[in-house]
Amino acid sequence: MYLNFIITFCIFHLSCAWEIPDNFAKTGHSNNWAVLVDTSRFWFNYRHVANVLSIYRSVKRLGIPDSQIILMIADDMACNPRNPRPATVFNNIKQHINVYGDDVEVDYRGYEVTVENFVRLLTGRLAPETPRSKKLLTDEGSNILIYLTGHGGNGFLKFQDSEEITSKELGDALEQMWQKRRYHEILFIVDTCQASSMYEKFYSPNILAVASSLVGEDSLSHHLDPAIGVYIIDRYTYYALDFLEKVEPSSSKTLGEFLKVCPKHYCLSTVGVRKDLFRRDPDKVPVTDFFGSLRPIELTTSILNVLLPVKTNKTKAIEPERKYSYVAQFPDVSKFT
Amino acid sequence: MIHFKIPLLSFIFITFIKYVSPQNDFFDEELMLKPLPSNHVYAYFQFTTVWETTKDVTTFQHSHLFPRGLGEIISRHNVDELHLTLTKGLWHYQKWGYPYHDAGPGAEITTWFHKDVENVDDEWKGLTNALAGLFCASLNFVNPANSVSPEYTFRPTGVVDRSAGVVDSVNSSHLRYSSLPREIVCTENLTPFKKLLPCDSKKGLATLLNSAYIHNTNYHSIGIHFRVICSNTICTKTSLELRQSVSLIYDTVTDVSQDWSIRKFFGMGIRGACPLATLSNIYIDISSNNTNQIYELVPSPSAKIVSLRGGQLNEIAVYDIRSHSSKGIFNIQVLYNTTHTAGLNYPSILYANRYIIGYGQERGSLVTKIYNNYWQTLDIILLESIPWYLPVYLHSVTITCGTKNIIPLAQRYLPGKERKSPYYLEFILRLPPQSVTKFSIEMDYSFLKWQEYPPDANHGFYMGPAIITALLPIARNYTPLPLDGSTITSSFNASREGYLVQLRTESLLISLPTPDFSMPYNVICLACTAVALAFGPLHNISTKRLVLKRVEMDWKEKLLSFLMKKIVKPKKKQE
Repeated sequence: MYLNFIITFCIFHLSCAWEIPDNFAKTGHSNNWAVLVDTSRFWFNYRHVANVLSIYRSVKRLGIPDSQIILMIADDMACNPRNPRPATVFNNIKQHINVYGDDVEVDYRGYEVTVENFVRLLTGRLAPETPRSKKLLTDEGSNILIYLTGHGGNGFLKFQDSEEITSKELGDALEQMWQKRRYHEILFIVDTCQASSMYEKFYSPNILAVASSLVGEDSLSHHLDPAIGVYIIDRYTYYALDFLEKVEPSSSKTLGEFLKVCPKHYCLSTVGVRKDLFRRDPDKVPVTDFFGSLRPIELTTSILNVLLPVKTNKTKAIEPERKYSYVAQFPDVSKFT
Repeated sequence: MIHFKIPLLSFIFITFIKYVSPQNDFFDEELMLKPLPSNHVYAYFQFTTVWETTKDVTTFQHSHLFPRGLGEIISRHNVDELHLTLTKGLWHYQKWGYPYHDAGPGAEITTWFHKDVENVDDEWKGLTNALAGLFCASLNFVNPANSVSPEYTFRPTGVVDRSAGVVDSVNSSHLRYSSLPREIVCTENLTPFKKLLPCDSKKGLATLLNSAYIHNTNYHSIGIHFRVICSNTICTKTSLELRQSVSLIYDTVTDVSQDWSIRKFFGMGIRGACPLATLSNIYIDISSNNTNQIYELVPSPSAKIVSLRGGQLNEIAVYDIRSHSSKGIFNIQVLYNTTHTAGLNYPSILYANRYIIGYGQERGSLVTKIYNNYWQTLDIILLESIPWYLPVYLHSVTITCGTKNIIPLAQRYLPGKERKSPYYLEFILRLPPQSVTKFSIEMDYSFLKWQEYPPDANHGFYMGPAIITALLPIARNYTPLPLDGSTITSSFNASREGYLVQLRTESLLISLPTPDFSMPYNVICLACTAVALAFGPLHNISTKRLVLKRVEMDWKEKLLSFLMKKIVKPKKKQE
């Protein structure tokens, strides 16, 4: 009886304290996911890993938990024997941000990054024993950020330098996701050469696609770190990160601003945008709709009483007396001689 | 043997009268720092969780100190014992002695399933996939094609039920072992490892596990070891034990000064013990002090223990973190009075190495050399698990010691099947005293299917280590814990009849015959060029007619052709 009262009181109290944030209903989504993919193997593609980790760092900082970020990295750069500073990846010659951080969780790595696994991840057609961290458990309320980086050409993106996904395949995978109600909205970003060819074949609704270059253009790298010996970040991602570093979870920066982060005199390639599938006006959508995570939490200052469950005396079945022992760790050799 | 000092009494009090929480579990964190004769320093972290309970279906539904994520996996797949190591680097047994836990390069996993498990292969697949998710490692690449169930090498290190009416449960059909030598080990593996600890990496010794410092070592290995142990002396009740270990080898050779400290190795001092830990200690093996190396410990230790074990005398300085960290962050420094002197190295009595001989990409030989430095014979078990794409020939096995052939005491062989199972070889050998025994076997390098080659096929294919198991008669350079012990303290003065070691040899990189993957592309280009070159003239000839055309010339051209005729005509006549 007393417990009942407490529960009702709690519910009542909560409903009073609960105020739905202004922009909550308008966004229409209920959770955020990110799929960040680096498709390039080999040390000289260090910059692609730095690209993807830069975005990873941003989305994590803006509140998407690791359990809702699927990070795919095709090769090990951080602990590569060629890396002069093990367990670090830098995206800037000044080395002020170690994008690998101290608590990175890579979900697919090395040989696991394949076209098949990527498409299976998106469409949810994975083997039954696949662990939760390797699944994209999205629903019709999920806003997904898909970021791809690697080497591409007109109409395809190479995976691991040995296979490729075509723009048609990618378009079909997204359509399958839409039909299976696996997303609410998608922000698709691709940083490769001729990147805009990747989104040309999309035909599913609610996708805003951004590409670092148009067909016929190359996406260029930003700068070289002589200490590491390779180019360490691509231009588009460098300026995108520059923008995202200034974004806070509560900031009101919009996607419209994000689409303008890399004008042609910075990127040296033209950033392509496809808005026709997206139903909202990017200038009115906050960046945190995709890069941040929606967690409507209200703090309450009042104290709630929670009753501890009453311990019941469980009758334990009397176990039969058992005898255990350690096993000899080396076989008895005398029986062989 | 023990020099009693006043702080030691309190240390013993903490060790032996353990605070028993209502959940009947306790957690210990320990760090052993051992300067090695080669001027390396071996740092070994061990986090031990012992939970007095029986392992049944409902056990892991509530857990206190035991990591629930791991507990659920263990319970779901009905695992009795689990050993998982993720390692980078090669342990040099000759120079560094025997580590607390042997681990081969890359990922290694050994599991004993409960005897009631019916389909072991299914559970094995499920378990490795679940662990792959938990530790961010590609353990999902473990499959029957790279797993073996060795008969002699592995025995359960936990207790088995010996009650009346229970059939002897030691049956290697419920054992699976696999190694993935290619597996990389980096921050993403250390992060989930730290999250299993009750204090995470926020408090206690785990704060020292900073990724950038851990991975900048000559050897690093993290391990998870779960087993069932006795919880009382007569062993009628059981406890669950989880050891989480981190082994590191730091190099002090290349530095200007030989001095080292906790701060130098881990980037920071110790802020305090994990409040949930019963035992929170740092040990420094100071046996090498005052031999030909003289160093000083700052601050001085809480206690000193002399440990005599199997003929090996070690002096160990003990620091209780709780009493030292009360004044704030504390750091242990080891200051040498001499400049760069190497310690005295008494080489380990058993070690091995392995290599490939032969040339070309068709066939080769695998050679494992086993060194016995002891004055008596040693019995060892040699386990070779060879991938199916390296078919070996049993008739070519030769085991020689000098010119003498050695006949194995026992021998197990299971031929591999393409894409299904590896070649499994296990020998029990008796090594002559003071000898080098050479095991060799011939093998082929097979061609794979086009799609089976990895994206970097020209890098080569890795072959996991051989495992050499022996029960050493003396404990020289020996550190592992005794079978009935859980914490590092249990290894002090723990003389036993034999000292089990499981050496891992090198993993090998073999270049298989690799096709030229651009060949189809080249063929298409070449064939198309040839067709284009042939088609053009043929098309012209078959569709166009040659017609004479009268040439209209002006006076300059007429003059030129007249002159040309005059010059050319006489030549034509000659023909």
